[in-house]
Amino acid sequence: MEQTGFSAMERDLAELIVKTLKLKIDPASIEPQAPLFGEGLGLDSIDALELSLAISQRYGYQLKSSDPDIKTIFSSLRALAHAVETHRTK
Amino acid sequence: MREVPLLGPYQQDDLLAWGQGVSRTAAQFLSNVYSLADRLPDRPTVLNLAASRYEFLVGFAAAMIRRQVTLLPHSRVPHVLREMVRDYPDSYVYTDHETPSGMSELVPVLSRQSSASECCPPDIPVIPLDQVVAIAFTSGTTGKPVPNRKTWAALISVAQATGARLGIKDREQITVVATVPHQHMFGLEASVMLPIVHGLAMHEGRPLFPADVASVLMEVPGRWLLVTTPIHLRACVAEGVSVPKRGLILSATAPLALEVARRAEQQFQSEVREIFGFAEAGSVAERRTVAGDWWRPLDGVRVEQEGTACVVRASYLPVPVSVPDRLSVSPNGEFIVHGRKADEVHVAGYRVSLGELNSKLLQVEGVQDGVFVMPDEQSGLVTRLMAFVVAPGKRSEEILRALRAHIDPAFLPRPLVCVPKLPRNETGKLPRETIEEMVRWWREEKGRE
Repeated sequence: MEQTGFSAMERDLAELIVKTLKLKIDPASIEPQAPLFGEGLGLDSIDALELSLAISQRYGYQLKSSDPDIKTIFSSLRALAHAVETHRTK
Repeated sequence: MREVPLLGPYQQDDLLAWGQGVSRTAAQFLSNVYSLADRLPDRPTVLNLAASRYEFLVGFAAAMIRRQVTLLPHSRVPHVLREMVRDYPDSYVYTDHETPSGMSELVPVLSRQSSASECCPPDIPVIPLDQVVAIAFTSGTTGKPVPNRKTWAALISVAQATGARLGIKDREQITVVATVPHQHMFGLEASVMLPIVHGLAMHEGRPLFPADVASVLMEVPGRWLLVTTPIHLRACVAEGVSVPKRGLILSATAPLALEVARRAEQQFQSEVREIFGFAEAGSVAERRTVAGDWWRPLDGVRVEQEGTACVVRASYLPVPVSVPDRLSVSPNGEFIVHGRKADEVHVAGYRVSLGELNSKLLQVEGVQDGVFVMPDEQSGLVTRLMAFVVAPGKRSEEILRALRAHIDPAFLPRPLVCVPKLPRNETGKLPRETIEEMVRWWREEKGRE
């Protein structure tokens, strides 16, 4: 099921988000540019923590919120995918 | 009535708060408090939403000087906040960031203006011990939050007793770092009151990810005291965070697993202490998790069995407070916690009544029947609630979207499972065994997918 507008990393991360956070939604239904937290999927800070562990295990990238652009990292699936792409070590 | 100063044993130039490269001394703090207190509207209650722990404290202290009461909502969901200002229409909002939409139409919203020069060191204000300084709300079974009034005496006494139990000395070179919000009762007691009563420093922020926690602990001046929860500690342990500088960990809001405590003690080279408490009574007892199951009440606190229930007594509690968990109390007053009472569940440090969640679920358009369930087994950092819902023609996403406006994200069901009907018994009830069967059925179904 090829979704136009999804990069490979965005698709992988969408699946990781749905699986890690037990969201029971179709990963392809996550809007790449919509906010992940607050309004968007309505995730909370525990989800952010849970997701950060999954990302660290899979990609070897440890998220930090003292990064000045943490709001950008979590602002959307697209921004998160970009950050993981840039910092991944595996 | 006796009065107690707002600040403990600080010298003027002692560090009171630290964060993002900015240090604030006790003298600067007092000057900030006085200039804010002059500007506060003449209103009896304040909703203090400041994200910075320092800004929160300035607002809290200024309100106390003006004899105003700070409201501590049980959730930060915009809907809950708006409802709170409707219940307390004479409030104002104090914040250091964006205000949730729809608030400024209801009540005045105000922020602190950075005051330029401070002159001579101001006197430390004194607060009467019987003054109600905060109201901590808990979620009620009917859906209406229940107010718990906190006097200055209650906050001061708990902070003194906690510090004594942890062996903290006045003006010790310690910075308190917290992953919990200061608007939470435990956060207020351990990350705001504990430092100001003992003359310690506090970190202004709220590190979330394990890597943040580690770097903040290394950066802060002096030793550290990490005020946190089992969830954040589990994440630190899972990430293998290590901190080569000794401190002390204080965890609360849910019982900590022995294995997590053991590993955290190794990785942080520090003791892990736990606090048992709840909004109505505040912090009640302490233990070192690796040393055993028994909780030791804080000095001045007594926990007693009364029939099948247990109550907490202390000089600062106007009436004995009943404990929301089931306990066994030994003759010397120490106790073991067996778990929550039937209808109440804890998720991510917040207590909620399943009955309340069920009633919110049943208000969603198109929902004919539904039940929230707390599964027994745990996966991930925190056990989330599930829900089984009967809503023909509706998809679970639609129901979730509707629920999001009314309940805290922590309690959103993961997953929300749509079913044709609920196996209610002839009295219309869903016994615990039936619910467990449904969870097992759903897991098997999922396994087949």
